[in-house]
Amino acid sequence: MENRKIIIDPVTRIEGHAKITIDLDENGKVEDAKIHVTQYRGFEKFCEGRIYTEMPAITARTCGICPVSHVIASTKAIDKILCITPPQAGINIRKIINLAQIVQSHALNFFHLSSPDFIYGFDAPKEDRNIFKMMQTHPQMARDGINLRAFGQKIIEELAGKRIHPTGIVAGGVEHKIEQSQKEAILSQIPDMMKIAQGALEFFKTNLHKFQKEIDSFASFPSLFMALTNENRTLEHYDGALCFMDSEGNILKDKINPQDYREFIGEAVEEDSYLKSPYYKPLGYENGMYRVGALARLNIAKTCGTPLADEELKKFKALGGGKPVLNSFYYHYARLIEIIYAIEKIEELLNADETMNENVKVTSKISNLRGVGCSEAPRGTLFHDYQVTKDGIITAVNLIIATGNNNLAMNAGVKQTALAFVDSKNITDGALNRVEAVIRCFDPCLSCSTHALGIVSSKIEVRDHNKKVIQVIDRN
Amino acid sequence: MRAIIGYGSSIRGEDAFGLDVIKELQKLPLKETKLISVHQLTPEMVLELQDADEILFIDSCHDEKNPYALACSLREQSTLNLSHHISPKTIIYMLRSLYAKNPHFYIYSMMSGSFDGITDNVRYKDRVSMTADYIVSFGGE
Repeated sequence: MENRKIIIDPVTRIEGHAKITIDLDENGKVEDAKIHVTQYRGFEKFCEGRIYTEMPAITARTCGICPVSHVIASTKAIDKILCITPPQAGINIRKIINLAQIVQSHALNFFHLSSPDFIYGFDAPKEDRNIFKMMQTHPQMARDGINLRAFGQKIIEELAGKRIHPTGIVAGGVEHKIEQSQKEAILSQIPDMMKIAQGALEFFKTNLHKFQKEIDSFASFPSLFMALTNENRTLEHYDGALCFMDSEGNILKDKINPQDYREFIGEAVEEDSYLKSPYYKPLGYENGMYRVGALARLNIAKTCGTPLADEELKKFKALGGGKPVLNSFYYHYARLIEIIYAIEKIEELLNADETMNENVKVTSKISNLRGVGCSEAPRGTLFHDYQVTKDGIITAVNLIIATGNNNLAMNAGVKQTALAFVDSKNITDGALNRVEAVIRCFDPCLSCSTHALGIVSSKIEVRDHNKKVIQVIDRN
Repeated sequence: MRAIIGYGSSIRGEDAFGLDVIKELQKLPLKETKLISVHQLTPEMVLELQDADEILFIDSCHDEKNPYALACSLREQSTLNLSHHISPKTIIYMLRSLYAKNPHFYIYSMMSGSFDGITDNVRYKDRVSMTADYIVSFGGE
């Protein structure tokens, strides 16, 4: 048999544009599989020469779903350049906005992108395995997803000015204090949102037994984990220090100041993808593969610090038997726990006296010529690293996007899943859906901040070793 | 109630067409009309549209062959999709299937050869005014 290549292009139900190739050997067995990120954005280059004050607005355009993360990392980098610390009210409001984004982003992934697989199964006909079928058969679940997203988006709009590309988070803090009426409006929704979040988690746990094969083969392997965490290793999304944990649960390095990330994170570039491949430097490229995001955060955190999430965290950690949970399928589980945590934490922060303080911003002049901003985005740890002249002109930018941190693990996961499910003699839609689904576990945000210039059909091409298409599967 | 949604990127030249039409409409005394400016259509927008009897979507459309051509269409031609941003058709589908609402809807589009800037400012402004006038002439004022 000739060598063949299976291409899944575009990958569906993810944020952004990517394709998957599966290489078969001469015997028709899976030899390799990769995810290729096909978008080139160029932010690191075209930001050079801009004035530093523009960076939050520019970098927010990296993405239409997690612009808040970019604005927060960007303003934190500028805080460092200005050598300022926002007032506690400003920090708390930033945290609330960041948590609101965690809620809306995680809700989108679970309710609208991934739940069709959980409801109908990975082998269901593709006509049935989508959100539109779900709206027919499980309308309340679809409405729950909309309500949870609306909750997060409304908080972002109220406190940061706009739902997408908000302008209210600025260097030194935030533009506006929280009004009492805003606080009350958000708090009034907390019980309903918590009920939705807990219901979703219960649904997921109840159905987990149906997916043991996927749990075992969806990027289920040893790797390192990285996340921000507090001194006592409570869950943290805004501040703290970086921590690397190995697959046995040993702390390789913690208390890393994010300003020093370059000492510990290397950035490799592969020829076939525009996405960077970061790795833990002390272990070298590929051996230093690590995962970030909800799974990593819950593996590293000893506690969430909020009661309902901590109850769920205990059950989650039991899956690992005292060691980190290595199955990427459980990213879904971890995200649902994080929604519960975020709702609790938003309530806690809103009820803190200092949050309502009118002093929400400080200003200063350039004191440092370099600043690194780091925060936990929904998909993992995000770095913005800027260098400026004394006049504030940007001379260098380095961005490590949350999804990029997972690049090596996503590729390893695609290969593992292809090996487990793809049979070249009978390439089923269910098998190819699983190869896509392993990527959805990571909920990658490959970025989409503008309109697409057309609709690309979902197509799989099977090619021989000469790149000749020998089979086309139209997945529309 | 009539909802008019202009959507696009405010920093991508002619992609801001829908947003600029909304700015024009905001100057006018429209009755029982909700004007919405957004970067992109998102799932939770359906909550704002439940009371709408009619929804107008205003967008720009990449078409190098017919720049500044205006189109009023189209009812069912947009694609059914759902991600962090969605199509007009998806909005309508969600209103129908989840909230038992069945509003009339129309999509007003201006063709644009490039979103890298405004190629012809005079024609662009003219199309913004024409679209706003056209919408007003069909009720709501």
